[in-house]
Amino acid sequence: MGIALQLLFTGLGVGSIYALVALGFVLIYRATNVVNFAQGDFAMLGAFSMVVLCVDLQLPYWLGIPITLVAMLVFGALFNFAVYYPLRNRGFQPVIISTIGASILLENGVLAAYGPRPQTLPSFCSFPGFSIGPVFFDSQYLLILGVTMLMVTLQFLFFERTLLGKKMQATSQDKEMASLLGIPVALMIVLTFMYSSALGALAGILVAPVLFVSVGMGSSIALKAFAASIVGGFGDVTGAIVGGLALGVVETFGAAYISVPYKDAFAFILLVVFLLFRPQGLFGEKVAEKA
Amino acid sequence: MIGIVPNAAHKPAAERRTNRGRGLLFVVTATMTVVAPLLLPMSAYYLNLLMQASTYAVAVLGLTIVLGYTGQINLAQAAFFGLGAYSVALGTVSFGLPFWPALFAGIGIASIAGVVLGLASLRLGGHYLAVVTISFQQILTLVLSNWISLTRGPDGIPGIARPIVFGFSFADSGAYLAFCVGVLWVVGICVGRLKHTKLGRAMQAVRDNELAAGVVGVDTYRTKVIAFTLCALLGGLGGGLFAGGFTYISPDQFSFAESVVFLTMALLGGVRSPCGTAVGTALLILLPEWLRFLKTTYLAVYGGAVILIMVFMPEGIWGFLQTLRRLLWPPAVLPFGQVAPLPLTTQVAREDDSIILQVNQLSKHFGGLKAVDEAELSVRRNTVHALVGPNGSGKTTLLNVLSGIYKPTKGRLFFEDQPVTRLLPHERTGRGIGRTFQNVRLFKSMSVLENTIIGAERPGNGVAVGSSGVEQHALAALDFVRLAEFRGVAVQSLSYGHQRLAEIARALAGSPKLLLLDEPGAGLNTVEKSELVQLLKRLKGHGLTILVIDHDMSLVEQVADRITVLNFGRCIADGPPAEVLRNPEVMTAYLGNAKPHVAT
Amino acid sequence: MSLLELENVVVAHGKVEALKGVTLRVEQGEIVVLLGSNGAGKSTTLRTISGLIHPLSGTMHFLDRPIDRLSPEAIVKLGVAHVPERRRVFPGLTVRENILLGGSSRVEASRRELETDVDQMLAVFPELKPFANVLGWKLSGGQQQMVAIARGLMAHPKLLLLDEPSLGLAPLIVQQLFQTITGIRGQGTTVLLVEQNAHMALSIGDRGYVLETGRLVAEGNPEALWNNDEVRAAYLGGRKTG
Repeated sequence: MGIALQLLFTGLGVGSIYALVALGFVLIYRATNVVNFAQGDFAMLGAFSMVVLCVDLQLPYWLGIPITLVAMLVFGALFNFAVYYPLRNRGFQPVIISTIGASILLENGVLAAYGPRPQTLPSFCSFPGFSIGPVFFDSQYLLILGVTMLMVTLQFLFFERTLLGKKMQATSQDKEMASLLGIPVALMIVLTFMYSSALGALAGILVAPVLFVSVGMGSSIALKAFAASIVGGFGDVTGAIVGGLALGVVETFGAAYISVPYKDAFAFILLVVFLLFRPQGLFGEKVAEKA
Repeated sequence: MIGIVPNAAHKPAAERRTNRGRGLLFVVTATMTVVAPLLLPMSAYYLNLLMQASTYAVAVLGLTIVLGYTGQINLAQAAFFGLGAYSVALGTVSFGLPFWPALFAGIGIASIAGVVLGLASLRLGGHYLAVVTISFQQILTLVLSNWISLTRGPDGIPGIARPIVFGFSFADSGAYLAFCVGVLWVVGICVGRLKHTKLGRAMQAVRDNELAAGVVGVDTYRTKVIAFTLCALLGGLGGGLFAGGFTYISPDQFSFAESVVFLTMALLGGVRSPCGTAVGTALLILLPEWLRFLKTTYLAVYGGAVILIMVFMPEGIWGFLQTLRRLLWPPAVLPFGQVAPLPLTTQVAREDDSIILQVNQLSKHFGGLKAVDEAELSVRRNTVHALVGPNGSGKTTLLNVLSGIYKPTKGRLFFEDQPVTRLLPHERTGRGIGRTFQNVRLFKSMSVLENTIIGAERPGNGVAVGSSGVEQHALAALDFVRLAEFRGVAVQSLSYGHQRLAEIARALAGSPKLLLLDEPGAGLNTVEKSELVQLLKRLKGHGLTILVIDHDMSLVEQVADRITVLNFGRCIADGPPAEVLRNPEVMTAYLGNAKPHVAT
Repeated sequence: MSLLELENVVVAHGKVEALKGVTLRVEQGEIVVLLGSNGAGKSTTLRTISGLIHPLSGTMHFLDRPIDRLSPEAIVKLGVAHVPERRRVFPGLTVRENILLGGSSRVEASRRELETDVDQMLAVFPELKPFANVLGWKLSGGQQQMVAIARGLMAHPKLLLLDEPSLGLAPLIVQQLFQTITGIRGQGTTVLLVEQNAHMALSIGDRGYVLETGRLVAEGNPEALWNNDEVRAAYLGGRKTG
């Protein structure tokens, strides 16, 4: 029983990372109808940025984290202009291919700059955690869970309460109508990319002390996050979060009870099962019939 | 199933000579490239490079079929490549099989994987397909690396044997390279010919306009699965040859990165043609060798190149050259000889006015919106029946339900007294229902004739597939709408009025018993409209039943035998034009009620 | 100086010339009606004025300012609000939020000012008040049309472009709607109304134009247009009915 609870806690922690990255996917998709295959690399860049700032340059964390987030906000804007904007009217396939290209470029660019050796980042809290009964609550995982809950709440408040949030929602529901009301649609999309980039980077920052920081970390998180958002119901914000958490838990239990080397396969198997039997996921609407 | 449409007998002599010249060029080039490795001395380094290029090219040809022709994305080609390679490797090394059975086993396994994956994900397409293929790729990589007892894991498999044919061993790398090049030529020619077969046209139709493809008679799902399977098959073939060539393989050669490499090769050269494949593969294998200093970053450059290609040169290098050629040397307008008249209907007596289409209590709701509300309609043979109504009255929705694009919420449809309510669009076309669209949906990458041939190839048309009869039938349809002189022209360059006619010809080529025309007059000028009226009158004279939607009442008046008026999704009038157009309810629906007073 | 002037505007949809040299003007304080059967180019005209489409040739002036190259966001800031056909209420936002976003072009206005304006709008459309917090996709056609118009008015436009507001609405609702439109003109907003429902439109219009396949074929006051053969032909075929 104790082991199960421990696994649950760890699974939720891992799942939170997937949820954060999945949120980034869903937001970009809702605003632009495009899936950004480089989403995971935002996480990778966030993690590497922390390594450069806090390990190589020895900056303290309270400096490194904001600098990374700001840099990634800017990067999100650049990404929008270089990768999405020129192809925005060409249908979704060129954009998929282009974002895959961007992903390869980013990963191998970092590889060329930094070399293939995985890096490590020390935990953010000096104290390692505490135990309640048989369960050990690792401080980094607590941080991950806490920050994720905070982000989800802040995001909810932003979209539901602020005018800008409403404008962004309107843009994702009907771009043309939004422009007729005077909402600067192109700006809304840039902001969406910037926010998704920072969100992804945040996921990378949080998970860096737990994993090895390597160029491939982003892709594997992203694929699973994408699978999670499909399981949750593609295009649905709640679905992304629930899907991410669920996936994290399934994967952790699977690794413990079934097999470790094939841990990564569980996400994909779950995905294929859903695609075969319930493509709209847990919360999504029925996959649209053709018009 | 794969038939080859031979050159029509009436092609001018000059064209036949050009074709023969081109064929000769092919044969000479092919022979030279196959024989060269046997005769010329080449270092092992170059032999390996060319072996990689030729086996990769076979796999990339698979992408030409699935992405270039059919427009479906496949990010797991390296996985299929790996299945082929590991089958050969394990087959010969672990199970002691000779090369050939192992190769065929590999092709078989890859194909089966392709079928399964295709069946699972092609109904959804788009992003889902991309994700499923990536997932499959990742799972395979995991299995190859971790199922050590079977695959020997990351250590790989050395000592793969070369094939032996009639006692002659291909142990000499030069000979094996010649063999690979030979296979590449054969596959390349087949893939090139595929484009001009019924299956190839169906694939391109799916890519250009999947909705229209279904309505024209193409089984879109089956076509996509076949394309996907062929792609997997070629991936397996390439991989098997690769293993035999390099005699050592390991899991890292078949990772997602390699799938991206295959994709980039296809895109760079030009994904729609086998020549493009050759160009792209050659460049991307030879280039890194010439740019040695980029070795560590070549994948990064690939990534950047993919983005740049998508933005600036989506047709790839070969496609760009083709476009240039077409601009500089535009294809001539071909003269046409005598064509047999179009056999439009089968055994329908002119006097027969029984009901051919019966619509009962049909409703289509979108959530709370009742787009069509218990509509009733009877269309009789040998008539032109018009469906009219103000904007938003549900006409196009009703037509979409009739074509099978929407499923009705309630109600039943009968065609020739058979229930058709649940049939898919291509099945309805197979029964003899043809249709055109309000915003013309022609297959943009193909010529007028090719578009029409696709229409003629609909299931159950009674014209033998792959024979010149199909082309004759298509030409007859074009001749009927007076477009035969434009048959070789790309549909993109036709005027709007001619595009509409081409779409009608495509539907006519399917010998429909009932033709559904959705606003055929939209966007036409007065002259074009009167020509359209003449065309409709001629069609009526041939015993064809027509259901037409249009807003132009004068057009409708001139051709319709019967008019049904829709308003708010309900039928509010039905009868001969004179009667219906005088109906007060109809006038209210269109013009409103009160007489205007002068505003002060 | 006319409020809006179009001179020989030519617009193309790919290969089709949707507008073939349209010249019209709208004076301050008028209700001008644009009639024609479907495919005549009425919606295209409005979409060109509001900046969603750019003309191939010809000029457009709003209060003597050229607007043919401006974006929709710029044009709405100048004072032209477009209520497109089929209403296009944001399905995932409430009635209040939809109307609130109508003020997006008024960058100087504070959130509180905008909220006050929304309250005023709800007073103008009292049938919407009980639905203020209902999501857009749940509303009926008539309610959506009112939301769309209220949303358009939030921009405090000088010129309101209304595209087939009666589409898909029951006759009684249409009558109320047209009374509302007259009221809008009374408040000082000029209206350019596109309609297929010729009777209703001509009953409240000051002047009208008739489009057929992208060309203007008639122009004049409602009485003249109603008795005009061109208008009848455009709707009911080449001969007089009755």
